[in-house]
Amino acid sequence: MNTSQDSVNITPLANIKILVVEDSETMRTLLTALLSAMGIGEIICATNGDEGVAAFAAHAPDLIITDGMMQPMTGYAMTRAIRAMHEHNGSDVPVVMLSGHGDPDIVEWARDEGVNDYIVKPVTPQLLYERVLAAIEKPLHIVESGIYRGPSPRRRLTAHHAATDTNKAG
Amino acid sequence: MTTEQQNLATARFVRLPSIAERKMGPGYIAPVRLDPRVLEQMQQTISVLGRQYCDTLSRQIHELLPQIVDVCSGVAGARHRFYETVHDMRGLAGTFGHPIVGRFAKSLCGYMEKFDVIDATIVRFYVEAMRDALEQDKPDERLADETLRSLEQLIIRTGMADPTAFKQHAG
Repeated sequence: MNTSQDSVNITPLANIKILVVEDSETMRTLLTALLSAMGIGEIICATNGDEGVAAFAAHAPDLIITDGMMQPMTGYAMTRAIRAMHEHNGSDVPVVMLSGHGDPDIVEWARDEGVNDYIVKPVTPQLLYERVLAAIEKPLHIVESGIYRGPSPRRRLTAHHAATDTNKAG
Repeated sequence: MTTEQQNLATARFVRLPSIAERKMGPGYIAPVRLDPRVLEQMQQTISVLGRQYCDTLSRQIHELLPQIVDVCSGVAGARHRFYETVHDMRGLAGTFGHPIVGRFAKSLCGYMEKFDVIDATIVRFYVEAMRDALEQDKPDERLADETLRSLEQLIIRTGMADPTAFKQHAG
């Protein structure tokens, strides 16, 4: 039997709800297991952008972790759609993209669609842990104008790599 | 003044409280530091899943070999299925301790993304290199670097010999 000292539940993340949008079953299993190990309280999964939009509306997650290239709706298009869901505060939810593509033009595309943070696969436990904590702890800075509410289109988006974790695009 | 200029002129920045401030209760003290015990638990998770994944990866690589002819001769759907499998390996192999397999998968994905017409010999070289890297206990990184460089040179020469093989949008 575990005592409270045995269990690794000392980071108080039990109130956090994360939506994982990923078409690869193995990657979904991996992410769910790693987020559970981090002590995340609720993890919802969707297998493409369309399901992601529906799950966002239904569950109001605190954070979204999404793949980029999925069919029929990509993670990029899903992020844009969610940013436009003003009735669900879609502009305010942090979106972390987890993609196999680290090319600067693709990272810029993600930024333009409203992605807040970008991880290039393969992911390691430490990198995932760091980026989730960063997303949870960073205050959100939103731009509001007549036609737009969401992350500043002029912000810098850094592509984080497991090996070097260096900046690949701005 | 245009509508766009008016919107920009009236834009304002709003600072929203972080998720931690909203959800982690009054006991929350910033910053939440990486806990080595949590990291250890995450590493154990990778180890457990990695044992299953190694079997999956081996099976996937062996299933790729007989598909190459169909993929390179344009059989409907074959190329998409093949690419999806390789793309999956590119994202997962490195996480589960097979970084060289992941690097070959990434390079093969890049080849398939850039070219409409792909060469069966080159694709076979890639798949065999992934198989060999998986079967070795400690794959030789220098050999992998050299193999990757050779494959990429071969791709460039193939592209120069047949420029129509490039995808329309590729540079």
